[in-house]
Amino acid sequence: MTKVEAVIQNSKLEAVKNALHEIGVEGMTVAEVRGHGRQKGHTEVYRGREYSVDLIPKTKLEVVLADAMVDKAVQAISGAARTGKIGDGKIFLTRVDDAIRIRNDERGEGAL
Amino acid sequence: MTAASLLISELRSSLAEESARIARGFAATGDGRAAVAQRTSLVEDLLRRLWRECVSSDDAGPRGFALVATGGFGRGWLFPYSDIDLLFLFADHASEETHKDAVQRFSQELWDLKLKLSPASRTLAECDRFDLSNTEFTISLLDCRFLLGDREVYARLHDKVIPKLVARESKPLLQGLAEVTRERHGKFGHTVFHLEPNLKETPGGLRDCNVASWLALISAMSKLGEWPDVSSLRPPVRKQLDAALEFLMAARCFLHFRYGRDDNALSWEAQDEAAARKIGASDSADLTAADWMRIYFGHARATQRAVMQLLEEIPESWSALRRQFQGWKSRPSHPDFSVVDGLIFLQQSSSLKDPEMLLRLFHFMAHHGLKLSATTEHRIEQALPALAVTPPRGAELWLYLQETLLQPHAAEALRAMHSLRLLTLLLPELKPIDSLVVRDYYHRFTVDEHSILAIESLHRLNQSQSEWDKRYAEVLGELEDPELLYLALLLHDTGKGVPGANHVEASLEIAGRCLDRLDVEEGERAVVLFLIENHLEMSAQLRRDIFNPETVAAFAEKVGTPERLKMLCLLTYADIKAVNPEALTPWKAENVWQLYIGAANYLNRSADHRVHGDISNEKLARLNSLAPVTGAKFRNFVEGFPQRYLQVHSAEEVIRHMEMADDVSRDAVQVDLKRGRHWYELSLVTKDRPSLFATLTGVLAAWGMNIVKANAFSNQAGTVVDTLYFTDRFRTLELNLSEWQRFKQSIVAILAGEADLEKMLRDRQRSEKNLRVKVVVETRIDFDDDCSSTSTLLQVIAQDRPRLLHRISSCLSQQRCNIEIALIDTEGQMAIDTFYLTSGGKKLSADIQKNVAKALLDELKSLQLS
Repeated sequence: MTKVEAVIQNSKLEAVKNALHEIGVEGMTVAEVRGHGRQKGHTEVYRGREYSVDLIPKTKLEVVLADAMVDKAVQAISGAARTGKIGDGKIFLTRVDDAIRIRNDERGEGAL
Repeated sequence: MTAASLLISELRSSLAEESARIARGFAATGDGRAAVAQRTSLVEDLLRRLWRECVSSDDAGPRGFALVATGGFGRGWLFPYSDIDLLFLFADHASEETHKDAVQRFSQELWDLKLKLSPASRTLAECDRFDLSNTEFTISLLDCRFLLGDREVYARLHDKVIPKLVARESKPLLQGLAEVTRERHGKFGHTVFHLEPNLKETPGGLRDCNVASWLALISAMSKLGEWPDVSSLRPPVRKQLDAALEFLMAARCFLHFRYGRDDNALSWEAQDEAAARKIGASDSADLTAADWMRIYFGHARATQRAVMQLLEEIPESWSALRRQFQGWKSRPSHPDFSVVDGLIFLQQSSSLKDPEMLLRLFHFMAHHGLKLSATTEHRIEQALPALAVTPPRGAELWLYLQETLLQPHAAEALRAMHSLRLLTLLLPELKPIDSLVVRDYYHRFTVDEHSILAIESLHRLNQSQSEWDKRYAEVLGELEDPELLYLALLLHDTGKGVPGANHVEASLEIAGRCLDRLDVEEGERAVVLFLIENHLEMSAQLRRDIFNPETVAAFAEKVGTPERLKMLCLLTYADIKAVNPEALTPWKAENVWQLYIGAANYLNRSADHRVHGDISNEKLARLNSLAPVTGAKFRNFVEGFPQRYLQVHSAEEVIRHMEMADDVSRDAVQVDLKRGRHWYELSLVTKDRPSLFATLTGVLAAWGMNIVKANAFSNQAGTVVDTLYFTDRFRTLELNLSEWQRFKQSIVAILAGEADLEKMLRDRQRSEKNLRVKVVVETRIDFDDDCSSTSTLLQVIAQDRPRLLHRISSCLSQQRCNIEIALIDTEGQMAIDTFYLTSGGKKLSADIQKNVAKALLDELKSLQLS
């Protein structure tokens, strides 16, 4: 099993969710996050005061998948989240040892 | 099998059979009171048999030891899965020691029967001790009831220990109970209006019914020194509480049987089933879940009101600090109301038959943050039927309502009006959302409470220490007509009461009717409807890329003016915040703020997009409907004005400017002066000429006027429309009507070169003292060459002071800069002036910008020193 973490633009969440649903990924965890890559932030001046945005609001989506699904999911996410501009985000993949469904203690891919 | 195990086995099957019988009885009748009484009796019988087995073969023995029911069991209200509150009461420690093993065995057998026991062992002396950290135990004694054992020991507890204890400790006891209650209410946001309330713990729930009884009981017992008559609550309160109790008992029994455990959460699924089975409302016609919840909220509201009144009306229970505070709150005076211990009473002569008196009462409440006394509430309730025949409406109602909405405690006043059914009587448009549950996983409160909470969250901004709240509080402080924002919040979700409709569209329609009822003037009406129509717009934008200039530009264009943007931003903030306490995450607050400042900056930097026959149909239609003018004449007038001109001025104002422009051929300078709610508004229409804006601001400065805002625009034909909003620092115009004419003539004379502006300014300066600077604002001068294709944008931020605008605009004239557009604003002691400048018909070169910046800095420095 693999955990797929994708940090994407907020505006792309709906498109990414739809793309994942289309390939059969139903469950996911979504979080409001802030951060920056090489893009860094920017500063807006309003009424003489500087409001710097060092950490840009982004959306993080997490989903743990059976290995057979991972490539399809990565393609779905990157296809839906890509604008070609700086700030499109990143996808991280991590190995997952086990998964447990709390309700009935089911384990492994069956618990996903 | 031993005799003991045989007994347990028999009791277990008897308990199961009888419990099933009670459940069947409840399913058939829905009678909660009967079900709790039957279960109480069942458990009593079981205890008796165990007592004989484990403690004493004689129900009246042993000496020095009694079994006492307390808490809910003591009241005889044992709900299907509630804990059994028991007190093992001993005459002294010796008795306790003697019966220790029996108590242990007795308790063990009860646990084995799967009964949930909440036991306490105390001697009489221990019961007499009051522990401030465990007021619950003393409170539980108030419901004590003899079960088995030594009746004399119980009689000493009931007849002597408890009355003496309560009389002696009534103050801390009441205080403790009040604190625990307020703390519990606080956990639920102090409101009964939860979408999935906890029937026991939420304000207005069963616990509050008990609190009301305890408060009344403690109060009476502390005065009498003995147990009072059972009906110690005042009759109307008693009646309300009894009705609520019947309903809540049935509903709690239903939940316990449904879940098979002590779970009191009214989930949506439970609400559906309760409505279908008409739980607690067997006499009603068919009920939807929303109807059933309205019945629940009605009872909960009455219960909470009763409890809050009792809490407020027990001054002995308050701490010294609270007494001092309430004493301070007693100071506000009013010819029609008196205030005692923070509660409003009507003066004897005051009659609530006069609707204005009623409206003044709630305005007074909203202003001072006071509560209504029980007698005042009662008198209001009595006055409502007469008021319902001819309820106040129109401008008079709007006047009172807006003044109430603006007060710091407006939300509390609105809740009180709502609870007394006055709010829906005055604004029947709110009826469909009264106690309305709309199922949504994010919302925690009913629609009406959400709307009032949104208003409250804006009023609370000023007290907040949070960084985000401070930013939004500043924006709120800048609003010209915050009452329109509050009204929009009150009405923004009314459409949710229309089943199946798009709630925004339905809200717009309902709000339209409400605005008609209030006779709100056209310009204000447009603002309220705009806010309601777009109340989801900023949230929708947050799902897009808010750092993309195109997204920001499209949003800003849709909003149109900085004032509307401020209102929409605050409405979005308040709307999200009132969804649930965690809904406005720092992430969302930052996004809303970034979108706001992005759009605000865009509006300032795009003010020179010109009109070229491309006015929106809506605006044109409105202008055509108002005007006895031809389309061509109108188009000639607006051609070449910045788009902003049409956005900041209403259709009526544009028509008026056009008429003034017509008259310019007769009298070169047309001046119109009127007094608004916040400031005076001067409109000037004339042909463009050098230093026009500097001269005009100079005249106002010479008259001692403080310019708060200004717009200066010109069209393709060279007609200038300048609008200046100012306060009259010396009340010259306010106190002398004749000065209005002289003031206008003075403007005309100076612009015609017939009077000496410099002399007037010198005279004014001599007569003025230096104003004290409260907040130091650093001067900041910024140029932007990119935002306009034809002009250079200059933004000056400086300490606001008399003559500032005149000095800046004069300085710009001296530097041969032409002011194409001026957008002047003031925020507290900060002046924020934006100019679109050209020099020789072009943008300002780098050299000119450098010279202008230096000249301005010198000028502002000299002004600071003068």
